[in-house]
Amino acid sequence: MHVAPWFWFAVAVLIAWGAVGIFQKLSTNYISAESTLVWLMAGFLLFEPFIYPGKALFHYSRHSVVYGVLSGLLSTLGAWGLFAAMRYGGKASIVTPFSALYPLIVVVLSPFVLHESVTLLQGVGVLCALIAVYLLST
Amino acid sequence: MGMQFLFTIGGLPVAIAVLIGKKFKLEKSPRGILYGLAVGLLSAAGSFAFFGAYHSGGNASVITTVTGLYPMVTVVLAVLTLHERLTRSQILGLGFAAVAFIIFSLG
Repeated sequence: MHVAPWFWFAVAVLIAWGAVGIFQKLSTNYISAESTLVWLMAGFLLFEPFIYPGKALFHYSRHSVVYGVLSGLLSTLGAWGLFAAMRYGGKASIVTPFSALYPLIVVVLSPFVLHESVTLLQGVGVLCALIAVYLLST
Repeated sequence: MGMQFLFTIGGLPVAIAVLIGKKFKLEKSPRGILYGLAVGLLSAAGSFAFFGAYHSGGNASVITTVTGLYPMVTVVLAVLTLHERLTRSQILGLGFAAVAFIIFSLG
């Protein structure tokens, strides 16, 4: 049986990101949410030299730089909240799926901010996500 | 990869602010540090694999849908390794979440 190469990459993503939730919980069992955040950044920084785009970095448009940096800033603040949720007793099996419902916010905001329209299917997605949030928090 | 580089730069001020807030005194639990580092390394490795999937000729919507199911992997691992237990309504909630992930990742 031939399996496409992208599939193995996708499986690697699932394993890596799936395990992240477990390590977040394990880390906050021993240290504070703030310390976990610092070590997370240390882990990220180890990769920085390998992904440094070189001189191309100085040719990025101002918008791409601002939005790229801003998305990192907001995601890190979000990660802090996530670690705090786990630190204060949240289960990995609840906090991770709950926080992964963030596209709900994107779908709700995008018509106003990016003037995108929401399809009927996405509307069903929003409804499912809201029901999921309610059930997961019970 | 450029965006991933900028993304990390954006996160740095938060980590520095946290360090200052804690007066540069972090807990010295080796396990906590090791697990925290694993969070960073695995998150970044997952991102690279994600880009790898795109660059190896996969269909973007299929890749996003499949990888969007990573919280379900966490749930299975949490039950198996951390022995977490879920209530019946939480299991139902996970089902709704899975449907929502799939719909959202279809774009």
